[in-house]
Amino acid sequence: MSRTGEFAHVGVSLHPERSYAVVVHGAAVLPVEPARADLDGTIASAVRTAIGEFPDGPFAVTVDLAPMLLDAITRADSALPRVAVIRVVPRPATDPALARSPAALVERRVARRFTVAGGHDLLGNELCPLDHGRLEEICAELAAGSIRHVAIVAAGSQARPGHERGVADAIQTAMPGARISAASEYGGHGLVAREATVVLDCALSGVAEQLVDRCERVLSRLPGEFQLRVARGDGGYTTASRIRTMPVVAFGATDALEVCGAAYLEGLADCRVLLSRDGAQVAGEVRHGLAQVSLAESAGIGTELVVPTAVLTPERDVTPTGVPGRMPDVPVVRARHAPELLACVGAAVSSPTSWLDEVAFIESADELRSVRRDAEERATAFVTANGAAPGTAFFAEVSTVAVPYSPAGTVRIRVRVAGTPDIGLSRPLLEAP
Amino acid sequence: MSGAATWISAADVPALYEGAKFYAPAVGDAGRSSLTSWLTGLLEREGPVALHRVETMAPETPCVSLCVLGSGSALADLPPAGDEFVAAIRQIEQLQGVRFGAVYPLAAATVSALVPVAAAAQLGVPLLDADGMGRAFALIHHTAMYLAGISPTPLVAFGPTGDSVLVDARTGARADRLLRAGLDTLGGWAALASYPTTAGALRRGALPGTISRIANVGRVLLQQTDPDLLISRLAAITGCRRLGRGRISELEQLSRPSDGSIPAHPSSVVIDETDGRRRQLRIELRSEIVAVFANGELIAGAPDLLCLVDATRGTLATLDNLERGDLVDVLVTPGDAVWYSDEGMAMVGLNFHGIPLDHPRRLRGEP
Repeated sequence: MSRTGEFAHVGVSLHPERSYAVVVHGAAVLPVEPARADLDGTIASAVRTAIGEFPDGPFAVTVDLAPMLLDAITRADSALPRVAVIRVVPRPATDPALARSPAALVERRVARRFTVAGGHDLLGNELCPLDHGRLEEICAELAAGSIRHVAIVAAGSQARPGHERGVADAIQTAMPGARISAASEYGGHGLVAREATVVLDCALSGVAEQLVDRCERVLSRLPGEFQLRVARGDGGYTTASRIRTMPVVAFGATDALEVCGAAYLEGLADCRVLLSRDGAQVAGEVRHGLAQVSLAESAGIGTELVVPTAVLTPERDVTPTGVPGRMPDVPVVRARHAPELLACVGAAVSSPTSWLDEVAFIESADELRSVRRDAEERATAFVTANGAAPGTAFFAEVSTVAVPYSPAGTVRIRVRVAGTPDIGLSRPLLEAP
Repeated sequence: MSGAATWISAADVPALYEGAKFYAPAVGDAGRSSLTSWLTGLLEREGPVALHRVETMAPETPCVSLCVLGSGSALADLPPAGDEFVAAIRQIEQLQGVRFGAVYPLAAATVSALVPVAAAAQLGVPLLDADGMGRAFALIHHTAMYLAGISPTPLVAFGPTGDSVLVDARTGARADRLLRAGLDTLGGWAALASYPTTAGALRRGALPGTISRIANVGRVLLQQTDPDLLISRLAAITGCRRLGRGRISELEQLSRPSDGSIPAHPSSVVIDETDGRRRQLRIELRSEIVAVFANGELIAGAPDLLCLVDATRGTLATLDNLERGDLVDVLVTPGDAVWYSDEGMAMVGLNFHGIPLDHPRRLRGEP
């Protein structure tokens, strides 16, 4: 579990109607009651509370943007930009359902769709050359229009991003000011999930940037040294600068934060957490202080994404003692606080995390070890970039499983890494994770 | 699906998908939303698909099986354009000079159970409530039809690239090897149309009622309930039972030398029981689970259908998505009876998977 050590950590959850915050210092959790509950007022009030109660800085402020991002996507009068989608696949879909995203929320953000012949298989073998002629036509059409947000997904780009980069370069040349999201930046599996991820990434870039800018402006006006962090979908955090370039990473963070916040308040690093959702009970799991996450359909979206989010499942079974009995070997925590407070606590005590999910081809145990080591090293580099103190990364999960019904040697490697927060410490943290 | 005349409508798609996953628990959900959205849209547009028992069809009716050949991951990363399955069928029709009057799944499991429904809607023909495996096996000749003497060829594999392979081979094993050789080039997966035959031949060669079965199983799985209740409900439909519950303590890759004839590396999952006898369960994987050992003793194995249920979520745990620490129930479901015959055991039993042990059923003296 991430420990706050000797410093005060602020957790903030931004909602359209109001914002919430807590200050956490070890076991002390101080809810903040701002006079003005908008973003600026809440953050300023939380930081002042932290300074007043725990004058020894520095401080970290971790913000959950997810409710604002979800609102921006779901609101009927949303001012989010419309996005052009370019799919690079060998052949265009012949059925309208296969040509679009299965998620209406995603498709609502799509102004135009194009298909360019090209793409690779899972292991990076070219299936079809990139159709440069068609690409030129698309560039000319887009340059003549008003759309300036372009999402690109190519089959197999997580293994070989060449076609995707070729499209991105051509678009950038034709429209120098365009905001381009390419699926290979995220990796992951499934063309539809990767496409939905970059569509949301593109659409949310402006609103995420505005929110991060506002948070930074508020902090810059306050006395002291503060580090702004942004909560990730997996319940960890990353830097503000990374959210500016990859805003969808912040999507769906709230569930994981609530689960981790409830566990932290009970002083547990491994437990099952019961939360209330719309009058029903759902459960999430915490292992080693981190929320259990998956790439399942994100609530309210209607399709898979390639950024992991917490797994919450309906929990209806209750034993006569009032405690669900399906997991006898871990404690069960029934959340006793408002979800907004839990999310703020979860944000305050979060750790920097990274996630990597890849397919590789191996022919020997030695090669498997080498591929795993490479993946682990890259995930470690990512977590350091996300704000972990150098040398503190630990592997929360490393799994390598054979891809069923694939040629022998095809394996899926997933690495989840967490680290100790790096807040520019001149002194070491009192407790390591 | 209800009434004397059985139909598959858009409302049945979620249950079909979940039930199909139970019978091929290896494959995860990547691409699920796209495929189910496609099939739902087709059934809304074209109307429900008629589901016929084989014996209700005129014996001379030409029928052809369909499945997705290859990797679910490849399919998710390169979704179908939508015309692959019909295109594969049309090529065989052209070759044989016939018009197929019905389609059926080669394997009523995983996405291979859904694509024949889509093709039936596109072609405007009935779907047969039968299949060749009653689950998913890795090789195309591991079917009840093949045991009954029905040839899988001529067959056509039509890939997402628009390329296709026509195979005519002397044996099922050679047909499978010829197909696998071209599968990567086709894109990692292909729409496979095979076992062109008649309804009369399928009466003696196919496994009946398997589409209805997955729909019923899927309805139970969709209820998302407590795992204990879920398993008891599944048991009423499928005859499954729980072998044990525990946490995954190890995922091993390349635990044994690779066998080129099976399209996946041998690997193992180790589970430490959290209650009961506190045994260590070792699960042997190929593309599916092929054996379960408890403290070194074989307690279940192919052709049993073996799957894992995520005990914290009350959902199926797919093999490409397992993590250390997951709490899982290990379930065993009897395969269709044909697989426990001498011929069936020789084809898909433990020995085929490189495990030279007698099946526990045989050791117990059961047929």
